[in-house]
Amino acid sequence: MNLLFIIFAAIVVVSALGVVLLRNPVHSALALVSNLVGVAAIYAMLNAHFLAVVQIIVYAGAIVVLVLFVLMLLNMKVEALKRHEKIFYTTVMLVAVAFCAAILPILHQFFGEFNPAASLTIASGAAASGAAALPRVEGTVEAIGKVLFTRYLFLFEAASILIMAALVGAVMLSHRVSNANGSSVNSGPSTDPSTTVRS
Amino acid sequence: MTPLSFYLALSAIMFVIGCVGAIVRRNAIVVFMCIELMLNAVNLSFVAFSHSVGNLDGQIAVFFVMVVAAAEAAVGLAIILGLFRTTKSVETSAANEMRL
Amino acid sequence: MDLLISFLVCFAVFHVAMVLSAVCTWIERKGSALMQDRIGANRAGAYFDTPFIRTDNLALKPVAFLTNVLVIGPAFSVIRTLGMLGVINTLLCDAVKGLTKEDFVPEGTSRFLHNLGPVLATVPIFLAFAVIPVAPNFTLFGYHVRPQVAHLDVGALFILAMGSMAVYGVAIAGWTGNNKFSLLGGLRAAAQMISYELAMGIVFVTIVVVYGTLDLYQIVERQQSLWGIVTQPLSFIILFIVGMAETKRGPFDLPEAESELVAGYFTEYSGMKFLLFWMGEFAEIGLFSLLLTVFFFGGWHLPFLDLPAGVWWAALIGHVILMTKVMFFCVLQIVIRWTLPRFRYDHLMTLGWKILLPLSLVNLMFYAALKLSGVL
Repeated sequence: MNLLFIIFAAIVVVSALGVVLLRNPVHSALALVSNLVGVAAIYAMLNAHFLAVVQIIVYAGAIVVLVLFVLMLLNMKVEALKRHEKIFYTTVMLVAVAFCAAILPILHQFFGEFNPAASLTIASGAAASGAAALPRVEGTVEAIGKVLFTRYLFLFEAASILIMAALVGAVMLSHRVSNANGSSVNSGPSTDPSTTVRS
Repeated sequence: MTPLSFYLALSAIMFVIGCVGAIVRRNAIVVFMCIELMLNAVNLSFVAFSHSVGNLDGQIAVFFVMVVAAAEAAVGLAIILGLFRTTKSVETSAANEMRL
Repeated sequence: MDLLISFLVCFAVFHVAMVLSAVCTWIERKGSALMQDRIGANRAGAYFDTPFIRTDNLALKPVAFLTNVLVIGPAFSVIRTLGMLGVINTLLCDAVKGLTKEDFVPEGTSRFLHNLGPVLATVPIFLAFAVIPVAPNFTLFGYHVRPQVAHLDVGALFILAMGSMAVYGVAIAGWTGNNKFSLLGGLRAAAQMISYELAMGIVFVTIVVVYGTLDLYQIVERQQSLWGIVTQPLSFIILFIVGMAETKRGPFDLPEAESELVAGYFTEYSGMKFLLFWMGEFAEIGLFSLLLTVFFFGGWHLPFLDLPAGVWWAALIGHVILMTKVMFFCVLQIVIRWTLPRFRYDHLMTLGWKILLPLSLVNLMFYAALKLSGVL
């Protein structure tokens, strides 16, 4: 087994546990960063170079920064668990461990051998005779660009429209409109003046 | 050479951990981070299958999942900020009643 | 043996990064003094008495005399000159001061996060040096040496990734200060960095469109006949401005505005952690100077000079040429910092979002059109 895979898998699992188990949400966010960087390293091991770097730029470098911004603006207190919550926690975690213990042998039985021809047989159902001669494509920027802008062009444009919709939505949701009274309310979910937090 | 099932096992473990976190944690932002964990687990299995099959369709799928996750992050956090403004708390139990 | 070569290349590139950081620190201190019509640091090490060897033993007298004249005398003259120039003060005394100061953590905040802030701010900057070539390839004793630590095919994107990671250090540092000034400085700095990363990313895309590759070594090699500044001058201007904004220096240093926010996100840091921030900032100046040289000024190519490829002394000359150009840009950035007044924060954000971003998009479309029509 590959030593690098063991190291990165350990980083991924430990930091995923850190996201779930750490009390302080800022610590959870940093554990998430560590998790994403570990996953990016595994992408690099799987020959997905472009995705590894984009994972760090987009996920670890933008999304979690946004989460950190929100965490810092909402100065929240870290509370200890109550007793019924602790029971709930342990029950759910035991069920999760049981689920993992059940599914991992099944995965190993079906996908254990690293054989592209065998995987292709399962995936496409075609004859395995000519499938082993499939050229392996590396995930370089050039290769992904070729596929992205020819076969998946419509999806690419639709994704850009999605991002623009999300941008407009985020701006609208956090927009504050000052009404005639001179105090500012937000045009978000609540418009009841008695319960709106003024700032 | 690590077999494919090891990557899928890692993806399954990550997904289960994210699922547990989304169910158990009360802080809305930590729930959001566990959802990101689950998305990453699915991305990992996409990339593992793409590597095993040998073409790039899985990686393109990961690209679009990242796009959707970024859009969801922006809008979701804006909603959480709005929730905080009205209920003054980011706990999911603070917003589980219809009246304010 | 390949492992040893890789290790030596890592050591050499890290050495380049540290030397750039140290020299930029010294230029900042002494150069700012000269620009502000004062002398600056010139006391430490300037008044050493030379400890000549004196002996009464008749047999050792010639040995002592020769050692005095050839070794000790010149060495201490050099030390005294360096002291008068402020080098010993900046490089040695500041380091010792930083190492011996009390290491404290503010109350009410996590000690781990407080220690993590400078690390997250500095390490990505040094990691970004990994994809930049510092000399042309050469062959020595039959071993092929490539002075680039990581030969990634996504080299320029890796620099963007490390720029994104450097935001964390600033945000965490501002948050663990546990006071409003730190938090405000940290959030301002983080917002500034991520705003200017957009324009930086688009300028990188423009550069990649013109050169056709993301590997920085190939980009330098393709500037052998024509420097990048001739083909895309606007990209250079945008990247220069973005570089100064990313390092939070020059007229963009509102996050650490000394006159307004105490010291911004640095406030609660002292000793070695503060020095780590400082080293990271100056290394980032060196990084952006290196990037500008590699992308726009031909790296180690001079227009009239045609060096044979693969020879070790040609690589050395190329390295010297590269470092000269890099030092020019470092000095330029430091001079601009001490010359221009700082931006107001909304002006800064306007510049990033409303001026540089559309300008870089138009720039990209222009060069994409040129490339598609076959001109470039």
